[in-house]
Amino acid sequence: MHNRSRISNLLFILPALAMFCVFSVYPFVKTFQLSAFQWDGVSKSMQFVGLNNYKDVLFNNPNFWYSMGAAGYITLLALIIQNALALLLAVLVDRGVKAQNFFRTTFFLPPVLSFIVVALVWKWIYDPNYGILNFGLTGLGMIQFQGFGWLSEAKTALTGVAVVHMWKGFGWGFIILLAGLQGIPRELYESASIDGASVWQQFKRITVPLMIPTFVVVSILTILGSMQIFDLIYGMTRGGPAGLTHVPITRIYEYMNNGEFGYATTMAVVFGLVLLIVSLVQINVSRRASQKI
Amino acid sequence: MNRIMTNTIVYFVLILVVITCLFPVAWMFSSSLKSQSEVFTNMSLVPEHAKWSNYIAAWTKANFGTYFFNSIIYTVFGVLGVVFIASLAAYAFARLQFPLKNVLFLLLISTLLIPLPGAFVPLYVLLQKLRLLDTRLGLILCYINGGLAFAIFLLRSFFQQLPKELEEAAMMDGASRFSIYWRIAMPLARPALATIVIFNALNIWNEFLLALVMLQDKAKMPIQRGLMVFQGTHITDYPLLMAGITIATVPVVAVYLLMQKHIIKGITAGALKG
Amino acid sequence: MSKLTRGNSKFAISGLVVFSILLAVTSAILTSCTSKEKQKSTDVIIWHWMTDREDVFNELAKRYEKQTGIVVKFETFAPSDAYRDKIRAATQGNLLPDVFSPLGDDRELAAYVKAGHIANLTKEMESGWKDRFFEKPLAYSSFFSGNQWDVEPGIYGVPIDVTSMQIYYNKGLFKEAGLDPENPPKTWPEFIEAGRKLRAAGIQPFVSGFGEGWLAGAFVSSYEWNLLGKQGVIDTIRGKLPYTDPRWVRLLGLLGEMREAGMFASGVATMVNKDAERLFATGRAAMAWNGSWGVNVYHSMNPKLNYGIMLPPRLPDAKYPLKIWGGGASSLNVNAESPNKDKAIAFLEWLTDDEQQAFLAQETRNIPANKRCCTALSPVLREFANNLDITQDRLPITEDWKVLSVKFTGMQSIVADYKTPEQVAKEIESEKKRVASAR
Repeated sequence: MHNRSRISNLLFILPALAMFCVFSVYPFVKTFQLSAFQWDGVSKSMQFVGLNNYKDVLFNNPNFWYSMGAAGYITLLALIIQNALALLLAVLVDRGVKAQNFFRTTFFLPPVLSFIVVALVWKWIYDPNYGILNFGLTGLGMIQFQGFGWLSEAKTALTGVAVVHMWKGFGWGFIILLAGLQGIPRELYESASIDGASVWQQFKRITVPLMIPTFVVVSILTILGSMQIFDLIYGMTRGGPAGLTHVPITRIYEYMNNGEFGYATTMAVVFGLVLLIVSLVQINVSRRASQKI
Repeated sequence: MNRIMTNTIVYFVLILVVITCLFPVAWMFSSSLKSQSEVFTNMSLVPEHAKWSNYIAAWTKANFGTYFFNSIIYTVFGVLGVVFIASLAAYAFARLQFPLKNVLFLLLISTLLIPLPGAFVPLYVLLQKLRLLDTRLGLILCYINGGLAFAIFLLRSFFQQLPKELEEAAMMDGASRFSIYWRIAMPLARPALATIVIFNALNIWNEFLLALVMLQDKAKMPIQRGLMVFQGTHITDYPLLMAGITIATVPVVAVYLLMQKHIIKGITAGALKG
Repeated sequence: MSKLTRGNSKFAISGLVVFSILLAVTSAILTSCTSKEKQKSTDVIIWHWMTDREDVFNELAKRYEKQTGIVVKFETFAPSDAYRDKIRAATQGNLLPDVFSPLGDDRELAAYVKAGHIANLTKEMESGWKDRFFEKPLAYSSFFSGNQWDVEPGIYGVPIDVTSMQIYYNKGLFKEAGLDPENPPKTWPEFIEAGRKLRAAGIQPFVSGFGEGWLAGAFVSSYEWNLLGKQGVIDTIRGKLPYTDPRWVRLLGLLGEMREAGMFASGVATMVNKDAERLFATGRAAMAWNGSWGVNVYHSMNPKLNYGIMLPPRLPDAKYPLKIWGGGASSLNVNAESPNKDKAIAFLEWLTDDEQQAFLAQETRNIPANKRCCTALSPVLREFANNLDITQDRLPITEDWKVLSVKFTGMQSIVADYKTPEQVAKEIESEKKRVASAR
């Protein structure tokens, strides 16, 4: 009777297990299998190429690594500027301003919007001839921006996209950092100020050490989210101008669309490894940093 | 004196950020109410005459009605699928015994931790084999699977924390495991279920990449994909595009404003636990 | 306690809402299922991407049914990259319709033929069918012996219309700048000079959707044939002539010359063709590099536009004839594994017959593939049709898509003054070497 009930319990988990095997396990395994083949998505059979795809991705494809660098640039900007801004705002709101709820609600509005919506609205704002940004800038006297194509000029395209990414993303960091800040007991600050510590010293000695786990979470989420950016690029520039805003996922999509399924999955595997290594390094570094403090 | 100054600066900075957050949304709405020629010439937030007919044109001529309807289908079925499949599994992990229980759970969690970028490529090959490409069912199944791991993780810890007395009492009364799950555990799990519903609804409504890769028939496209299709073919029709974007955004913002406490609580709980 | 009951009613209401949505949705899906059964009585199913021809196609299908009783159904999938994806998705599992097109380059067409998806129509074509077509579009639907992909030689597609590309010019704006509207520039120096005059008169001289890289490539390709000749082009693809050769640098530099003469309308490097077409149609640019489909587009945007077309002005010192991009066509292929193959072929033969082609040409203002129908065309389209024999020859090999991608984005960089022709030439050549070594 025991056995029967145990096995019939499996029925509870059966749908999830079935979905998982078909839609998670199979694609995971298939990725590695496909990466050793060459397939155009049309022919009925695939060609085995062994490690050739890997060799090409690792040593012979500067465009792919350039796209990795572009994503890295966006990630770096997000890690530094976006999260600094989020931290600043969280600190300010945590100090106890009125209408905390109002600020929390508005700051988290951009993350709730879809990437496509954000991409299209900002593309319109960035429009060289009719966008409100250039209108405002030329109105302030900076006439060199009349007709300036933020998304079509080599020097500003990637940064322009990064700005939108940060605009959309800072709300996440803000919410998590605020929750972390609010988890620090007030008594610590009170006793420190009684002991004569300044606001800055309190921040350095109390806030920062206690916030390190939260910083780690925010950093990893930022890295994973920013490196895998796709929708925003697709909506704003499609990788242009002249391929300068291509990121790894857009490259993988491009190769798949051009009938190089095996090669595309190889790029995905290499990219996944890079992400894994970066995340592990990040955790390691912050563990050491928290030990020092 | 010092305090008044710092307070003013603090509020100034905060209000500045608020304006930066809200202005693009307001601009989007304002552009949607302008006429084709006005949108290129009138740079104020307030249109001369609010052209509400843009919305009717967007809904019918530009097919945003179809896209909206498709998004509803994907969201409703996706969320329902996640809720039922994940809660069943989570209850089993929390309360029932079966072979290989811990191994399976570890496997499930591993998918949350290991990033697999470009998963859409093998998923495309899979759906192609199953003849589910360019079908609503195929996309819905992908969406359900995407939300399962996190939902199971969340619900399992929730179920584990429920007091066992209610369930034990029901078991002694001879209730089947399924009816205990359905009548006792699930109603009590409403807060966690609400979080899962909201998160998956938001994610599916906003999703783009899978809809791009898996669907080719315009009649099946959700609204994010529809926006890009419209933008590709009517590049300079900004008022209609902005109206379409507003149509895509209003449900999201409405749900957000109603449920924001829930959403924010969910994120902070999840992130801090992680 | 009150919070619980409030929560209860909220969930009850939302539960009701969800249930009613579910009901509505399932009924919608069920009704769409029944309409699929209606399609089973169709004889030939055709998937296409030509949204501007949807109504004409449906009208022709109705006529065919009246004449023969055979039911043909046209289904449109747009935009064209969604169509291309749809076809590719349908290749596994026997989901392809009776008539379709891969809508890709030669490499893709070859892949489809070799996978057995596309029927070899040589036998049907040889019995007189092929005589009605222009030579070039038929060539682009065929493979010849010695082709790069080892495809069995033969005719694999049915051309519906032909396109080629030339430079449209606005006669009114030409007159304004002091140029003779009946005598457009015939050589490159004249072309640059005309550009300068137009710019001096405050008119944007030249526009094209170079944001779509292949258009820039198509423009320069005319001069590739002019300067290098057919063998030179073939040698480049084969790798015997490097892209760093001074002649290639000069070809890339042609765009630089245009830029320096102030010929480009602002934003050309990232402009999509639709915007470029709108600029020309509204008289804001004097010349537009566009295809024969432009006639239909300009008519819908501005029927009163007074324009003519001219060939790309040749390089005076070049040894070989200038050949324009074109000759290819919208064409349809027959599914080799379809049970309705014969009915499909019969319909396509009817579709490309004189009466139907004339009707198509009239309604959609495109050049018909059937060369006997050109009397139905407007003067501009007739000029396009007459120039079909100087379109570029169909080559047995094509350049790799990755090299072309670098070539096209390189051209965009030159137009945007971001890279020099020498830099771009080096980049194309190194991509070419990289691709060759990967093989």
